[in-house]
Amino acid sequence: MSDAAFDHTDVVPGKWRPVAEESRTTRIVLIAIALGGLALLVLAPLAVVFAEALAKGAWAAVKSLGSRDARSAIQLTLLVAAISVPVNAVFGIAAAWVITKFDFKGKAFLITLIDLPFSVSPVVAGLALVLLFGTNSLIGGWLVASGFPIIFALPGIVLASIFVTFPFVARELIPVMIEQGRAEEEAALTLGASGWRVFRTVTLPNIKWALLYGVLLCNARAMGEFGAVAVVSGKIRGQTATMPITIEMLYNEYLSVAAFSMAAVLALLALITLALKTALEWRHADQLAATRRH
Amino acid sequence: MALALRSQAQKSPMPGFRLGMGITLTMLSVIVLLPIGALLAQGISYGPAGVWNTVNTPRVWAALYLSFRLAFFAAVFNLIFGTLLAWVLARYEFPGRRLVDAVVDLPFALPTAVAGIALTALYAPNGVFGSLAKAAGGKIAYTEWGILIALIFVGLPFVTRTVQPVIAEIEREVEEASATLGASRFYTLRRVILPMLLPAALTGFALSLARAVGEYGSVIFIAGNLPMKTEIAPLLIVIKLEEFDYNGAAAIGIAMLLISFSMLLVINLIQIWSRRRIGHV
Amino acid sequence: MHIEIDEIAKQFGSTTALHPVSLPIPSGALVALLGPSGSGKTTLLRILGGLEFPSSGRVLFDGKDATGLSVQERQAGFVFQSYALFRHMTVFENIAYGLRARPRRNRPPEAEIQRRVTKLLELIQLPQIAKRFPNQLSGGQRQRVALARALAIEPRMLLLDEPFGALDARVRKELRQGLRDIHDNTGLTTVFVTHDQDEAMELADLVVVMSMGKIEQVGRPQDIRARPATPFVREFIDA
Repeated sequence: MSDAAFDHTDVVPGKWRPVAEESRTTRIVLIAIALGGLALLVLAPLAVVFAEALAKGAWAAVKSLGSRDARSAIQLTLLVAAISVPVNAVFGIAAAWVITKFDFKGKAFLITLIDLPFSVSPVVAGLALVLLFGTNSLIGGWLVASGFPIIFALPGIVLASIFVTFPFVARELIPVMIEQGRAEEEAALTLGASGWRVFRTVTLPNIKWALLYGVLLCNARAMGEFGAVAVVSGKIRGQTATMPITIEMLYNEYLSVAAFSMAAVLALLALITLALKTALEWRHADQLAATRRH
Repeated sequence: MALALRSQAQKSPMPGFRLGMGITLTMLSVIVLLPIGALLAQGISYGPAGVWNTVNTPRVWAALYLSFRLAFFAAVFNLIFGTLLAWVLARYEFPGRRLVDAVVDLPFALPTAVAGIALTALYAPNGVFGSLAKAAGGKIAYTEWGILIALIFVGLPFVTRTVQPVIAEIEREVEEASATLGASRFYTLRRVILPMLLPAALTGFALSLARAVGEYGSVIFIAGNLPMKTEIAPLLIVIKLEEFDYNGAAAIGIAMLLISFSMLLVINLIQIWSRRRIGHV
Repeated sequence: MHIEIDEIAKQFGSTTALHPVSLPIPSGALVALLGPSGSGKTTLLRILGGLEFPSSGRVLFDGKDATGLSVQERQAGFVFQSYALFRHMTVFENIAYGLRARPRRNRPPEAEIQRRVTKLLELIQLPQIAKRFPNQLSGGQRQRVALARALAIEPRMLLLDEPFGALDARVRKELRQGLRDIHDNTGLTTVFVTHDQDEAMELADLVVVMSMGKIEQVGRPQDIRARPATPFVREFIDA
């Protein structure tokens, strides 16, 4: 087909008008609905976060973030992300490698299982972890007795964060790796490269943008997870309260500026994530096109 | 399972099957399968009768009904608005289109607790939109409407993100063919374009629904959390846990899992059916 | 229907797809627009069908100015190179589409639709495939369904863009005769675009050779073969 169909002909006599598009009025109305809806539903809440944080001036906002509990929450959240994101990246790469480079029975089932956390409520995920590792359980009781508690402690928060972000990296990698096939790796093998070398020099460069994309999404979710962490953390101030949990506690204590200041930090992080993600999409549109359906 | 898998994959010259499968299955078991198993085990030890008795109380039914009903409405809204948004982003040129495209993903990136307090601040009676509603004699936050808005927010990007690439793949010739056969633009949209988008839109709908059913962080702030009225099912689980009623929490958790999975199963079947008719995608 | 192309030109931005071209197409003729890609033949066909609006010039149907008619009003049966069948509809629904899309007052009753679709399926010699979906058909079958779908609206003319382009050589030969038969049965003024000079020469009453947005020569196949008007035509038909 020629580019003809994409040409916008100017005003023409008679009833003729471009075939595969809506009238100008319809277009304007639809664009207005889309933009208006987004502004109301998405941008307004975002704006409110910053407005409320700065309600008593920038100094009050900054000062609230300097408190001991706030700093401890920020540190904890960074620590949780620093552990759970790499773990998920390794898992994602391993799962995508197995799924795309080999044929085996039950592959579809394995993919379903990997996607499972998407359809489990974070609260249910937290509950499941509590039931497995809580003091009342066999494993949990033993772990607590040996001085390594999981629930109401860092490991539980990390496990919960990994659970809710579980499919992210794998889902970004699988379509890209399917698209790229196995030929390049096979060629490298025939040239005598070792398995690890093939992965490092052939596979990884091919998937690095999709991997980064998955890691970004995973990081944003890991830092922001609330439901699952609320259940497993015990919400101990200064110890197991992550940033989202601290936001809840501050908000419930009517410390609005403090709550929204911390929310603004997370919102900024979300904006940075989006900016990076968008930059990736613009620069590596071809490779990421395969993944834009999660 | 791993042993059987290995023997099948051994024909492949590709390395790393044992290592990759080892990591995959270990992680999957520790993070996902064992905890879910523990949940189910708790339900079994509690007994079907116990689970049923916990669930079969007015308060639990009310919470489950509220969660699933509002999640469904939110997903329906997102299905319609998300499809419209995808169409506008994929087909129309306007200043700032790429920026708008990026903004669509904000609900994915913004932590739910942040969204929760922001929506509450907006829609509470003293908030920007809440005061408008109050002036009109209505109330949004601390009612079902507030919950609905929060659920719409968290599920907003799913349909747009699944439908947008499909719109980009539609051949113009199909639309032109419809026009040459005498169909109006509206008829073409309704009878040709929408059916082509349906499978992808349903995928987005299912994701949006699953997300909304289990959503907790963005809802509890705006919900008001009144038993029988604005108490969502995940909150009931948290309450049971705080009362150390592990059996009760597990019972509600299992009920949610069962309902979610049967809903997703139905949606999957509809999808398989509509995909088979179209052939691919 | 007699078609008159009167000084039609088309620009896309800064590129000229068609220099002003004029061409009378006699009623009931089977005409081939022949030329290499980029010669403007598809653009001319799309302008006839109302899919494209000319930058200047007029199209006349039976002497009346049709330039401003919308694609829906032209009632041109159009067969696309990719066939553009509706994947989510059965063959039957594809063919019935144009009838069902009519406003209620012009829409034939259901029994009439059934009767017409059945008749068209017989015309294309595929009466047994009504319930199949396009992805279950061979390339040749798809082409014939696209043709039947275009005929269902009782078009005033038939326009085909590379109707045999996507088919292998054997099926192509078979379907050429099919198109010839349908043309002879219906008597519709038919214009098809092709880059294959054998196809044009064998099938058309009148061949229009185009190059670089201009008409090089118009004539009966044997005349063009015997007396190529320009070096381009000579080279192109020898190739």
